Amino acid sequence: MARPKSVRAPTTASLPNNLRIPSSTPSLAKTLGKLSRQALLGLALTWLDDRNITSFPPYLQADEENGGDDEDTLPYPAAETIEEVRNAYQDLQDRKGGKREVLERMLEGDWRKGITLRQLAMADLRYMDNHPASLRWTALELSRIVARKKPIEKGKADDWSNNVPRMQAATFVKGLQQEIAPLVKAHYHLARSSTLPLTILRIFIIDSPYQSPRQAPEIFADSSRVIYVAFPDSCPYIYTSITATGSKQAGPTTSSVATDPRSLQRLVRDAIPKALSRPQERYTLKPTSLAAKNLPTLLALRGPGRSTSANGAFSIFADSALEGSPLDPRLSNTVSAEEHMRSWKATVENKENEISADQAHESKKRKAADTNPGTLSPTSKKRRLAVQGRFGTAGGSLAPAPLDRLDVRLLDQPTFDDEDDENSSNLPAVSLTFTGSDVIGGIRKLAELGIIDPKRMPSWMTGEEGVSMAVVRGGKRLQKEA
Amino acid sequence: MNHSARYPGASPDPQEEKQDEAIATIRAEIQKLQKRKRTLASSLLSAHSIQKLIRKPPPALTSINNELSPLVRAAGKHSECNHYRIAFGATAFPFQDPSPTANDNLLGVRLDVCARNGQFAKPYYVLLRRERVRGGNEKRLRVHRHTVPAFISMSKLEGAFLPFPGSGKERVEESEEGENLKPWKGQERKQDLRGFVRELRRELVAWHMRTDAVDFLREKLGLETGSLSSSSERALPVEGTGVMSLASTAVEARYVRLEWEDGRVGRFKLSNTGLVERAVVIGDAGRDKQTEDTMTGGGGRIEALLDRLRERGQSTA
Repeated sequence: MARPKSVRAPTTASLPNNLRIPSSTPSLAKTLGKLSRQALLGLALTWLDDRNITSFPPYLQADEENGGDDEDTLPYPAAETIEEVRNAYQDLQDRKGGKREVLERMLEGDWRKGITLRQLAMADLRYMDNHPASLRWTALELSRIVARKKPIEKGKADDWSNNVPRMQAATFVKGLQQEIAPLVKAHYHLARSSTLPLTILRIFIIDSPYQSPRQAPEIFADSSRVIYVAFPDSCPYIYTSITATGSKQAGPTTSSVATDPRSLQRLVRDAIPKALSRPQERYTLKPTSLAAKNLPTLLALRGPGRSTSANGAFSIFADSALEGSPLDPRLSNTVSAEEHMRSWKATVENKENEISADQAHESKKRKAADTNPGTLSPTSKKRRLAVQGRFGTAGGSLAPAPLDRLDVRLLDQPTFDDEDDENSSNLPAVSLTFTGSDVIGGIRKLAELGIIDPKRMPSWMTGEEGVSMAVVRGGKRLQKEA
Repeated sequence: MNHSARYPGASPDPQEEKQDEAIATIRAEIQKLQKRKRTLASSLLSAHSIQKLIRKPPPALTSINNELSPLVRAAGKHSECNHYRIAFGATAFPFQDPSPTANDNLLGVRLDVCARNGQFAKPYYVLLRRERVRGGNEKRLRVHRHTVPAFISMSKLEGAFLPFPGSGKERVEESEEGENLKPWKGQERKQDLRGFVRELRRELVAWHMRTDAVDFLREKLGLETGSLSSSSERALPVEGTGVMSLASTAVEARYVRLEWEDGRVGRFKLSNTGLVERAVVIGDAGRDKQTEDTMTGGGGRIEALLDRLRERGQSTA
C-alpha cells in the first residue's frame, strides 16, 4: 500500500498511473477473475515485458530484504530475478490448469504489494478485446460548429476531406484533463484495440481532489466509475459506454455538487468535444440514434467504411454485390452477388476491407450457410428474391452488424379513427421494441419464412436506416432537423 | 472449398481425406473453367465485329434482328456501359428503391476509380432522390444513400453543390445574409450535379493516388503494402536513406509518418496533387530542418522522396 507520507494537498493533476490498489481488495480479485486463464497469463507476461517492467515491478527477494516484511507465511516465496518470474508464467502457460492458480499467484505472489491503476486498466481492456459485446456502446457524431457561415468556396480542393478532427492522443488527453480536472479526478489509459481499428480511452473517475484518495480501495474496481471512449479511425464518430444521455441539461448545474458517478460521467462526456476542439475549429457531439452492444456493429454502421450510409436494400452498393469491375465482360445479372463480392475481394486489396471488421472470416461462414441446394417452390423462390431485394446483403448470415435492440415509436394515426379527430395530443403512441442477438437478421428470417410480407414491410425493418432508435411516421423515419 | 473441413467430426481416414482433396480440386477446376467459359462467351458476344454486324445488318440478313438472342443485345449494352465506366469514371443509372413508401426512382451515380495496379477499386455509389421543395413546385435532388468513406464530407459537398432550401445549413445562410448587399444570395442557388460529381470524384481519385503513392514508397522500402501503421514492423533501411518505416497515419493517407534508424521521427502532409506539402522531422537534438527541406524541396514530388533523401544521405556522409 503506497500511501505517501507527504502532505496531502488538493491538486488538479490526474490520478497517477502507479497508484496501487491493495491486492487484498475483493473487488479487484473479482475484476481480474473475469479474465480467462489465457488472458491472465498474457497480461502477466505483458507486465513483465521489458518495456513495462519498470512500471510494474514484481515482488522480488530484494524487496523483501529492504522492506523487512517478514510475513513468510504466504504461499509464494519471492523470486530472485525477473527472469525467474517470467519463467514461472511461461510454465503456467505450457500446462493446463484453472485460472485460480494464476490469479492467486499474481495477487498474492508477484504483485502482493498491489495492482496499479494502469495494470487494472490494461486488464479491463484485455477483457474487452476478448468480449466485444460486454458493454453497451452509443455512437455519437462529432460535428463542427460553424459560428459564422462563410460562403462556401468551391475552388478549395482540400476542403472536402477534412471531415475528421485531427487528433493526437496525448494532446487530447491533456485537453480533456484540463477540462474536467477542477471537477473530477480521473485516471486515463489510452490503448489501441488489438482486434478492431479503434483507439480506446479508459477513464476512471473519482470525486476527490487528492492524489491518493482516502476512499476505500473497493472504489477503484467499481465499474460504474469507468468510462470508455472509443475513437474509430478516420471518421467523425466516437463511441462511448455512457448510456444514459437522456435529457442533457443545459449548462453546468451549480446548485448541487456532483459527486455520484452518473453526473461525473456527464461532465466527462461534455468535456470530450471541448478537448477535441481547437481555436477556430470547435466541435460538438450529436446523437446518432444508434446504440449497440457489439463494437463491430458500430464500426459497420457509424464507421469509416462504405456501409455507414448504405444499409438494408442499399447494402448491395456497400458490398458491391451489384456489378463487377468495368473490365469484367460478363453480364452483371448473370453473376451472383456472392461471386461479385468474392471477385472484388480477390482483385482489389481494398482499403475498406481492412478497416471494417474481418469480413473474410464472415464470408467463410456465409459460404457454408448459403450453399443449400435450390430445391424451392416457385412461390418461395419469388419470396426469396423479394427478401433479397429488400435486405440486400444485410441481415443475412454474413451480417457483420447484428443489432441487439431496436426501439421504434410509431406516430401513425390508427386507420379506424375518425378523420375529424385530428388532435395529435391524444393519439395512442405505439412503441415497439425488438431484442435479440440479431434483430435485423431475425426480421429477415421471418420474411424468408413468409411470416412478414417482404414487399409491404416498411424500410426501417430492413435495417436501412442503421439506427437502433427510430420515430416513424408513414413508414418513414423522422429525422430531427439539427 | 475444403471439403474435409466441413465435417470436422469425420474420421481422419487418410484414404478418405485424399479422395476428398481430389474431389475438392476437381470442383475448383470445374468452377474455374465454367467461369472462363462465361467470360469468353461474353467477350465474344460483345466483340466489336459482332456488335457492328448487329447494328448494321447486311441487307440480306435483315431478318436476323428478330431471331437474335437477347443475350447478344445484352452483351452489347453491357460492354458499352463498361466502356463508359472506364472512359469517364462517372456514370449514372436509375435505381428503384424497393421500399413500399418510396415514390420515385432514385438516380444512381457510379464512380469508378482505377488503382495503381491497373485494376479498378470497388465502385463508389451515390444515390440521389428527388424531393419537392417546400412551398414550391420545383423538385430538387438530395443525397439519399452513398458508399463514400466517412472522411469525405458528403454533407459539405451537398451543401455546396446541391443546395436544398429549408435544410439546416441553407436556412442559416438565408437568415444571416438575407439583408446583405448581395441580392443574388437571397435567391436559391441552382443545383450543380456535374460539379458535385466532379468534386467528389476528384476527392476519391486523390485519395486513391495518395494511398498508391504511400504504397509505392513502402514497396521501394521493402515493406508490406496496403496496411496501416503498426509499430512492430521494421524494414531494413534502404541504403542511403536510413528510413526504417513509412506509413500513413490514417485511412485517408493525408499524413505519413516516417522513422529513421537513428531514432528521428518525421511526418509529412501529402497534397492532393502528390506533393509533400509540409514536413516535420524531430530527432534527439530537436528539429532537423535540413531533412525537412530535402523532403519538401526539389519539386516536392512524393515519388522521388526516397531518392532525395538518399542524395542527402550521400552528401552528408
